[in-house]
Amino acid sequence: MAARPRRSADEAREALRDAMVRLAAGDQAALEEIYRATRVKLFGITLRILGDRKEAEDALQDVYINLWQRADRYDPTRASPIAWLAAFARNRAVDRLRTGKVRGGAVPVEEAAPLADETPLADALLVDAEQTAQIHKCLGTLDARTQGHIRAAFFEGKTHAQLAEAADVPLGTMKSWIRRGLQRLRACLEASEAA
Amino acid sequence: MSGHENTPEDDVQRDDPMIAAEWALGLLEGEELLAARGKYAADPQFAWRKEWWDGWFAPLTDAMPGAEPGEHVWDGIAARIAAQRPGGAADAPAAPAANVVELQARVRRWQWAAGLSSMAAAVALAWLALAPSPVVVAPALPVAAAAPLVATVPIGETGLRLDVTYIPESERMVVGAVGLKHDGVHDHELWLVPKDGSALQSLGVVAPGEVRSMTLPAAVTAKLGDGAALVLTREPIGGKPEGQEAGPVVAKGAFTRV
Repeated sequence: MAARPRRSADEAREALRDAMVRLAAGDQAALEEIYRATRVKLFGITLRILGDRKEAEDALQDVYINLWQRADRYDPTRASPIAWLAAFARNRAVDRLRTGKVRGGAVPVEEAAPLADETPLADALLVDAEQTAQIHKCLGTLDARTQGHIRAAFFEGKTHAQLAEAADVPLGTMKSWIRRGLQRLRACLEASEAA
Repeated sequence: MSGHENTPEDDVQRDDPMIAAEWALGLLEGEELLAARGKYAADPQFAWRKEWWDGWFAPLTDAMPGAEPGEHVWDGIAARIAAQRPGGAADAPAAPAANVVELQARVRRWQWAAGLSSMAAAVALAWLALAPSPVVVAPALPVAAAAPLVATVPIGETGLRLDVTYIPESERMVVGAVGLKHDGVHDHELWLVPKDGSALQSLGVVAPGEVRSMTLPAAVTAKLGDGAALVLTREPIGGKPEGQEAGPVVAKGAFTRV
């Protein structure tokens, strides 16, 4: 839990990576350790995408059970454990939105924001700072409109069709805007990798 | 799911890396989503690119405030894991049990590959474990991973649909009817319409609200392929009675190779 303020973020991340490796090797106790360390961040993600506590808790359960079933999918040499888990949790939540089970979809940002148990994230749960700076920088090179749509997709789990409807433009126009944005984003990110 | 589009969108090439980006962002739905999942399972380049985008987008989650889940969440996880542990539930004879375990592992892999929810996986597993007849498992031949076939069968204007995935390597088909409800009066039966014009083959009664996995007989798999159509008919409870005509067709779909 967050009650280890003295431990540095780096140490916490290493402990998490270590637990992920042990889980892949079949150590079930590692799962509880991972849960304790990451549930606040991952629940924040599923809650944001699904906008409903019950659904978000179900999605969170899915995340950890799947993690246990296929811990070997995580490659410790390739990704930071928290980044990987965050992407995994978000993907599962979006999958759930797309099954048609959750009719309402994500609630707008303003409504989703004030949660009674909202918790600021501990440093240890933040994704690598350099990577963070880069994605924000590259997003910042896009025009405000495209940026807004890409953010709405990421934070609210919107589809092309929903974004087009919200912006009152034809679907093809929206797809085209987003694709151009993603193309520029990719070029910017790749340039940063090459540097 | 996309309607007609008047605006040209070909100004940006929609190649695989672009589809991976759209998927990572969560924009895809319907058949495009199923196709992307299938490609992810079959194409390492595509999988790599999807994960590349996932990795870059991950830091954005730092802007989502954390939240504390209820305590029952962990209890649920612990209980599900205890229940699924091999040997945790075995009063069946040893050999079939081993087969079921092997199957469970396979189904789990497919569920994973197809990106279905683990709840769905659990349902499919429970069904397998309870299947009365011994489950025959094909020997694990080193087969090159054939591309799965997927079909979406939209149910009228309800926004609901059946998701059907056939995995050639395993001769198994997964039918997801999540969101559908039983009306208590009818069952719905799924049929394969072979491309060669031969008789319809029943794929069984659909279980509303569930994801079920089944092994297909060779007579059926022989007719399965890209473009093979599916129809869903409304039948009395239990499915089409012997010797009677099938009920009305309520939905249609076709397989596409992904």
